[in-house]
Amino acid sequence: MRVERRGPTGKALADGSLWLAGGLLALLAAAALVSGEVPFTPARLRAAIAGEDELAATILWQIRLPRLLVAALVGAGLASSGLVMQAYFRNHLASPGLLGVSSGGAAGAVIAIAAGAASLSLWFLPLAAIAGAFLATAAVLGLARGGVGTERLLLAGVALNALLGAVTSHVLTSHASLYERNGQILFWLLGGLEDRTWEHVVVAAPIAALAALLWPLGRPMDLLSLGVDEARSLGVDVRRLRWAMVGLSTLLTALATAVAGTVGFVGLVVPHVLRLLVGPEHRRLVPLSLVGGAAFVVGCDLLGRSAGGLRLGVVTALVGAPYFLWLLRRTER
Amino acid sequence: MSPAGLSLHQVAIRGRLSPLSLELPTGLVVGVVGPNGSGKSTLLAVAAGLSPGEGRERNEVRWQGDRAAGLPALERGRRAAWTPAEARFEFGFTVRSVVAQGRYAHGDDERGVDDLLARLDLRALADRPVDRLSGGERQRVLLARALATGAPLQLWDEPLAPLDPRHALEVLALAREHARAGGLVVFSLHDLRLAGGLDRLVLLEGGCLRAAGAPAKVLTPERVRAVFGVEARIEPGLSLSLP
Repeated sequence: MRVERRGPTGKALADGSLWLAGGLLALLAAAALVSGEVPFTPARLRAAIAGEDELAATILWQIRLPRLLVAALVGAGLASSGLVMQAYFRNHLASPGLLGVSSGGAAGAVIAIAAGAASLSLWFLPLAAIAGAFLATAAVLGLARGGVGTERLLLAGVALNALLGAVTSHVLTSHASLYERNGQILFWLLGGLEDRTWEHVVVAAPIAALAALLWPLGRPMDLLSLGVDEARSLGVDVRRLRWAMVGLSTLLTALATAVAGTVGFVGLVVPHVLRLLVGPEHRRLVPLSLVGGAAFVVGCDLLGRSAGGLRLGVVTALVGAPYFLWLLRRTER
Repeated sequence: MSPAGLSLHQVAIRGRLSPLSLELPTGLVVGVVGPNGSGKSTLLAVAAGLSPGEGRERNEVRWQGDRAAGLPALERGRRAAWTPAEARFEFGFTVRSVVAQGRYAHGDDERGVDDLLARLDLRALADRPVDRLSGGERQRVLLARALATGAPLQLWDEPLAPLDPRHALEVLALAREHARAGGLVVFSLHDLRLAGGLDRLVLLEGGCLRAAGAPAKVLTPERVRAVFGVEARIEPGLSLSLP
């Protein structure tokens, strides 16, 4: 006899969850495309797609669609990156923002911009962000060595965020005369999606490929999240898995940061909410965090735009920070 | 002659385990005894291939005749299962899904899981999150997961410590069954009266192997006094068994 796996509601929710998240993403994406300073009526949207209304077509294809795609990729990248970090550190509070990996990416990006390298090639900026993010990851791994305790991990993140913030501030002040560059630097630090073009979509596109590599890691991540030695004795190639997890989560955060600056709390809030809804199994959480993360950031951007131009990083912080504090309180008990 | 279920050749961990060699045939339930800090957990972790040793002092651990370190990861998962003395679960997986994790190395999800849930009295808890279980319940989940692997070599670190008498006897019965079916169960324990009923004992003290063999030969009154600092006397007392 087979024992029923879970209650009927839980099962239905879990099985339909990906469709639900996908539907939500589609809805938010549609809203993002038609709303803005120039709202589209259905007729105008049709005209824009058909190319009959030139202004509407430009807004749709050159402004809103790239922005939407960058938002979705950034959300998918950050949320899945946070999910992987939480499994790696076996800690609900691990995430790219809190651990300083995002700040590392931003510091790398800012240095590349300040040095003028970013204007030489489209790929210098993301490469610098990747280098910065990996340095930050290496530092966290070193600081939190052996210990996965919340306190130690978060303190390592605090120290790293402060240090990388100082690096960025230094670069910022030593280039104070260059107003144009400073504008760019500020953009990376606050996190935003203003003026995103197809170039940024191209830079963020590898997020989709990296996400595909995460797919088969769901089951071994389940085992690892319950203990390293236990996972090893159950047949998980822990060394390889951990390298893959560190590499993928850092790359995902770096690419997201390279196109949108430091956008906080996505990697913390999305995986956590999803875990509350469908349980901790990573086979389910990996695809869900990609779709759910995309929906979250597209939604936050929409919210910010309709609130009169709040930057994405500000909106995610407004949503995420209270949630984080609540989570911290709950964890302590 | 079939190869030993577990053989350790001059294994050592600096500061915790002095070099020792040990060969255990299959078909037995073996107890590892010794005072606190005598190296029981270390020995089990080494036997499970989790402490490969450093540099030139690589520990040679063989399972069913094959070098554990040379086996691919999945094959290791199919050959030997290990459980820690204390389980902490950071995420709320259900009991059933944690037991099903034992099937990872086989690539299936189901085989034997229902049966083990029943055997370890976990049916009623099957849908409960593991981070909300008592210590004894968590221990039974770990044992169910280890047995679900179907691995012939089972290495358990103090499996009985948090269990009530009934569940402890049931785990012991499962261990005997596993051994009878051609497996080898090695576990550490503190209850010397219970240890006296096992097939073999390994006695550790201060990271050194003091004795190994039949319980009556290992747990002599003199040795018990010397190693544990207690007087051993054989007399009829309270004895427990499954109804």
